[in-house]
Amino acid sequence: MSFISSKKNQEIILSTGIISLALGLALGAYGISSEAGYAGIGPNFLPLLVSAGLFLCGGFLFWEAMGNGFSHLPDADPSDSTQAQPCWSGMAWMSAGLLLSAALITTIGFILSCALCFVCAAHGLRQAHAGPAQAAQSLGIRSWVLDAFLGLAISAPVFWMFTQFLAISLPGLTQSGWL
Amino acid sequence: MDILNQLLAGFATAGTPVNLLWAFVGCALGTAVGVLPGIGPATAVAMLLPITSHVDATASMIFFAGIYYGAMYGGSTTSILLNTPGETATMVTAMEGNKMAKSGRAGAALASAAIGSFIAGTIATIIVTLFAPVLADHAVRLGPPEYFCLMLLALTTVSAVLGQSTVRGLTALFVGLAIGLIGMDQITGQARYTGGVPELLDGVEIVLVAVGLFAVAEALHAVLFEGAVKESENKLSRVTMSTSDWRRSFPAWLRGTAIGAPFGCIPAGGTEIPTFLSYAVEKKLAKGEHLAEFGNQGAIEGVAGPEAANNATVTTALIPLLTLGIPVSNTTAILLGAFQNYGIQPGPQLFSTSASLVWALIASLYIGNVMLLVLNLPLVGLWVKLLKVPKPQLYAGILIFATVGAYGMRQSAFDLVLLYGIGLLGLVMRRFDFPTAPVVVGMILGPLAEAQLRNALSIGEGKWTIFLERPMSLTLLCVVLAVLVLPRLLRKRK
Repeated sequence: MSFISSKKNQEIILSTGIISLALGLALGAYGISSEAGYAGIGPNFLPLLVSAGLFLCGGFLFWEAMGNGFSHLPDADPSDSTQAQPCWSGMAWMSAGLLLSAALITTIGFILSCALCFVCAAHGLRQAHAGPAQAAQSLGIRSWVLDAFLGLAISAPVFWMFTQFLAISLPGLTQSGWL
Repeated sequence: MDILNQLLAGFATAGTPVNLLWAFVGCALGTAVGVLPGIGPATAVAMLLPITSHVDATASMIFFAGIYYGAMYGGSTTSILLNTPGETATMVTAMEGNKMAKSGRAGAALASAAIGSFIAGTIATIIVTLFAPVLADHAVRLGPPEYFCLMLLALTTVSAVLGQSTVRGLTALFVGLAIGLIGMDQITGQARYTGGVPELLDGVEIVLVAVGLFAVAEALHAVLFEGAVKESENKLSRVTMSTSDWRRSFPAWLRGTAIGAPFGCIPAGGTEIPTFLSYAVEKKLAKGEHLAEFGNQGAIEGVAGPEAANNATVTTALIPLLTLGIPVSNTTAILLGAFQNYGIQPGPQLFSTSASLVWALIASLYIGNVMLLVLNLPLVGLWVKLLKVPKPQLYAGILIFATVGAYGMRQSAFDLVLLYGIGLLGLVMRRFDFPTAPVVVGMILGPLAEAQLRNALSIGEGKWTIFLERPMSLTLLCVVLAVLVLPRLLRKRK
């Protein structure tokens, strides 16, 4: 974990990622036809240019990361308890909410899947605000019920407004158009 | 006289009850969006882009313009009352505005910001009315080489000049261009980077990228890093200005407008430079005890000037968008996307082919300014209540709207997974100080610039010297070069 939390290592990983993205784009560009017509440059010109540009930027960032670093992040120090630690459990809750609603939206309908996303995301944010220590006691059944109610109270009117007034099709649980 | 007639016709279109209602809803929504932290005009317009498939073009452009404008008014409220830096456009307002609010003068600061926005917005709209048609007349003569150079200029300034680091800005630009590459090539129809996924043939929707980068990334950043951040709110005092406040604000408003308006007209985007410039000018001109107020109790000129400059820039930024089809900020890039959804390509022909739409849009800017003044001066207390929405519910609610925007566009669950992926990208970018505007502008402008480049080279029969042979494109290339080199030289000399 300490390897990941060091600012320098994070920046090195990121710039390496940018370089690999550039190489991936370049590799993909070879599969694109170079048929040029009158212009002298074909559909593969911009992909090659973008991958070259990205490669140069990634290389420069890598060089900076090896030196003084490029971002203004404070270097994480695990022994410093005053420094805010990233709340990974909250992040997991929110991600779960977003991905679950993506997976379920066509089966359980817009209202229920968005309410589910709301509940998960709000729970994650409550955890982040309360801190891990108090989270267990303060986030009881009441907050779940409240969030579920709020989630439905927001997503249902949004669904009606978009489907009934703006005629945008969103998936419903039933064919009635109201649920 | 011709302009006046067309403007009056525009007022007639914008003044129908239905369009007035759209303008009002847009202004109110825009103000709310501006006040709420974590969501800006670009996000709001992007989330509502799906309505373009059912609402007619004039009504939805009036609606979007209301949001675009309203957010500027609302943003200043938050930056004055809340002790957290909001979006870049209102960062400068926050410097003095916050100080004023702390010493009990929040009301005067809010009033000066709102009236300044009104004056600057109205003057800038007059500039748009007078100059946009003239510019469009001249722009008709530009060919693909000139267009390509103009777009190159816009891309360069957005990524390399604004923001703190050229390399990070360019990285963001290339990422945006890469996203723009996905899908079918405009000229030959060749599929690029689709990886065999049929959903990607049409390209990545602008809604997805904008909502993912701004809304989802903002929510993820909040849950991961901002848990412990405590913010404090300043007390609202009565929203009035004393005679001395008026006397000090008025020249600052005009100076701010004069500084801001030209910046919007050139395809160089961004409100950072004009607002900071206006702040510096006001500080330089202040004397005696007024100067002493800067940074201490807060000087009203430091709110009035930058706020006027901000609104003037944002309004005149519509000139390059409408006459050249070149967006220079996140929000104008998304407005361009909205035009494209209607099959309308903004450019010099827009004033002849879609005259009624354009003039209704311009007329609605005048109307919107008046509406916003009313919404923001007597009713400011109402908007302030929005600041009390607790963070967990606020961000979770934003995610619901993000889902509507992303799903409503193409009705594909695949897009929601992509939305999450782009949210993660935005989170990393935000964490490591990469600007997001170049991604959005690059993604929209990239395919257009590529088409112009290839058309230009076709005209030149494959010779790159075509860009040097035409005086206008040569001049523009020199400007691009100057924009890249000059700031560096100036910094070295310091």
